[in-house]
Amino acid sequence: MTTATPALSPRRYFGWSTDHKVIGVQYLVTSFFFFLVGGAMAGIIRTQLLAPDSTLVSAEAYNRLSTNHGSVMLFLWILPVLAGLGNYLVPLQIGARDMAFPRLNALSFWLLVPAGLLMLASFFVGAAEAGWTAYVPLSISGPDGQTLWAVSVILLGTSSMMGSINFVATIFTMRAEGLTFWRLPLFSWSMLATSILVLTATPVLTAGLALIAMDRLVGTLFFSVPAGGDPILWQNLFWFYSHPAVYIMVLPAMGAISEIFPVFARKPVFGYRMIAISSLAISLLGLTVWAHHMFTSGMDPRLRVPYMISTMIIAVPTGVKIFSWLATIWGGKIRLDTPMLFALGFISMFLIGGITGVFLAAIPVDLHVHDTYFVVAHLHFVLFGGSVSGAYAALYYWYPKITGRRFDERLGKVHFAANFIGTNLAYLPMFLAGLLGMPRRVVNYDPRFTELNQLASLGAFLLAVSVLPLLYNMIVSWVNGPKAGDNPWKAKTLEWQVSSPPPAHNFDQPPVVTEGPYDYGEAPAGSLKPSPAAAGD
Amino acid sequence: MKERTLLVVVLVTALLVVAGIWVALNVNLMPAEASTRAALVDQLFRAMLGLAAVIFLLVEGLLLYSVFRFRQPRGDDGDAVPVHGNRALEIVWTLIPALIVIVIGFYSFRVLAASEIREEDPLVVNVRSRQFAWTFEYPGTSVISSDLHLPVGRQVRFLITSDDVIHSFWVPEFRVKRDATPGQMAELLVTPTREGTYPVRCAELCGVGHAAMGLSSRVIVESDEAFQSWLTQAAALPADPIEAGRTLFTRYGCQACHALADAGAAGAVGPALDSLADPNGPHAHAHGGMDIRSFVEQSILEPSAAIAPAFADGLMPKDFGTRIPANELAILVDYLVAQK
Repeated sequence: MTTATPALSPRRYFGWSTDHKVIGVQYLVTSFFFFLVGGAMAGIIRTQLLAPDSTLVSAEAYNRLSTNHGSVMLFLWILPVLAGLGNYLVPLQIGARDMAFPRLNALSFWLLVPAGLLMLASFFVGAAEAGWTAYVPLSISGPDGQTLWAVSVILLGTSSMMGSINFVATIFTMRAEGLTFWRLPLFSWSMLATSILVLTATPVLTAGLALIAMDRLVGTLFFSVPAGGDPILWQNLFWFYSHPAVYIMVLPAMGAISEIFPVFARKPVFGYRMIAISSLAISLLGLTVWAHHMFTSGMDPRLRVPYMISTMIIAVPTGVKIFSWLATIWGGKIRLDTPMLFALGFISMFLIGGITGVFLAAIPVDLHVHDTYFVVAHLHFVLFGGSVSGAYAALYYWYPKITGRRFDERLGKVHFAANFIGTNLAYLPMFLAGLLGMPRRVVNYDPRFTELNQLASLGAFLLAVSVLPLLYNMIVSWVNGPKAGDNPWKAKTLEWQVSSPPPAHNFDQPPVVTEGPYDYGEAPAGSLKPSPAAAGD
Repeated sequence: MKERTLLVVVLVTALLVVAGIWVALNVNLMPAEASTRAALVDQLFRAMLGLAAVIFLLVEGLLLYSVFRFRQPRGDDGDAVPVHGNRALEIVWTLIPALIVIVIGFYSFRVLAASEIREEDPLVVNVRSRQFAWTFEYPGTSVISSDLHLPVGRQVRFLITSDDVIHSFWVPEFRVKRDATPGQMAELLVTPTREGTYPVRCAELCGVGHAAMGLSSRVIVESDEAFQSWLTQAAALPADPIEAGRTLFTRYGCQACHALADAGAAGAVGPALDSLADPNGPHAHAHGGMDIRSFVEQSILEPSAAIAPAFADGLMPKDFGTRIPANELAILVDYLVAQK
């Protein structure tokens, strides 16, 4: 089967293609470029904050940088890198030859490119400076770049919705024979839960952004206070999407590490069904919590307690996942390869983000720490310690499948160590700064916070350096790395039963699935049950 | 064997509980407690911190223990003994976290309700915000101040609003903040309990002067006598015109955006106002033929009429004409023109 695959030209990655694997790689590489751009912005921000009264950048430039740092990282890095993983993996994991709508799939990717360029180009006309939250009325009066920002996010949301329609259709209709929902790999489960959430929440943000764009472009008065507009309306529309967006950004990462633990512990996933169900539970509950971002705003005070309760309940399915992962590795035969290290790092850092999320849900505590560096620390532990660690784990884990090559394990471990130390060093001091009284989004600060900020900047610089071994490893190993073989990790999910990289149409014959995806230890050691796909030779 | 497992579980649980209690009692991450609300919030926070410590140590401990204890031996290529799940265990780790969040939720609700109880005869203070300054008005008096003076021990009822974009009124030592939203009047109840001087922060991004706005105002909690005497003194303008001008300069929040050595102001959002009248100074070209008093007055009343180089139009509020009485405007203009 492997030998029958015709060589695929690398040139296919540089143009229009409807192959989900090509599109997946296009997403991964493009989003990584934007990650570097967003990281450079963070580098300037952390350099500015080395001293309380630093004048490296002006207040105006600072607001533009922090606004676009957030927007680029969320909309152009984390969301598309996870969409890229989903694109590459879901059809392979479910035994399909491609996504359900290949041309729509290509279109979703090709919307990302102009949208990203539009956001970056906004710096030439005065970039958005009202924060990634774009609170009105501030965002109505900002420079022209604010309009470009809104249009860019509308395009990105549209791309995300198209992708999600595709994932839902693909997972529902294109699973291989015998691949029931209770045999669906957990990464595909997480993409399904995520896609449902995207389809429910994103249209609301898009509508809100359209209102802002119209206020700015054609003089409507949706958010004009003198004309009777309500600033709180935007906050509702914005958070109805943007809180679920956190789950959209973390569920696929959780799915990825749910794949990694059983492989590197040589044990079945503990509580497979509970992990799958908890993804759906997080999706559904995630739609009911948005106003916890508005406890200090003008929302009706009687509504605060219900939102506190729904927010806190999300800790329960999240806890189920964490304990199930721990039980998966308990009693296993653990191998500490790079993907496993990042997956373990995910748990240990996401845990901090999760616990501090409960503090933020508790209204009396939130009224103190809302809009402070405590929130900045919390969200970075969730999105950087969590989502980005998960994305790193996934990149290393599926790298041999995507490229057909092995990466350098030592460089991978160097990257892990620098990333782990850097993340904790950068974000832990921010909790304390916030509790002690430092608001977020400030270009200068009270000198009493100097030491905490210098520690955070040191961590951020270490994170910047930590990307170098990753980049070097990914590029050099693709050219020079040793051949990986079809299944270097000895995993059981379907994507590992085809060649690396997979042939153009994934499966020469439609596979038939006869067992669950994580049945480790069931067959005699070292001899996987022959899968129908492999039996097609 | 089974008894030994039980013993270990009991022992580890006891250790975790002791660690959690120690953290709750001994770890203080908060600034000074300066209000009744702060004391309540800190109790809740400490309880949550203790619980958080238990969960943190449990999860990280299990993680590290597993990584060291369950490593694949060199040369072993086989799989581990398969375990697919354990119904009882899964129920336990669903129910215990659920129980914990229910307790925290209930406790939070109690603290919230207790911190919003109305007391008799509160002191009302109107908090007005605009880009990029706070002003505090004391209804029933003519006092307008950029620093917030409060008597210790009496409940304050803040009525908070904004003239332009959303700001957020935050005193960390009071442990509470409230957004100032244009077109809305928000209420916030605080009872200060500790004399001292604390910062007033702006917690909602409000534009280029956001950081400066969070560094420009203070709250001074003082004895009732000290507060009353401040109120009397602040209501009257000093007889000396320069001192009166200096008072008005801060009262109307000019110091938040403009630098002026005489008033100790270092704002950088708008142009510096030192040496306005100097014919060779940085402002000389701006007022061209206009006489300097009219130029300064025009710049206060119609900020867009002349924009200093390197500064943007539209940042300075345009409603000073309705907020500053004519006699005070004259004193302020004299004061500014007198700066050398």
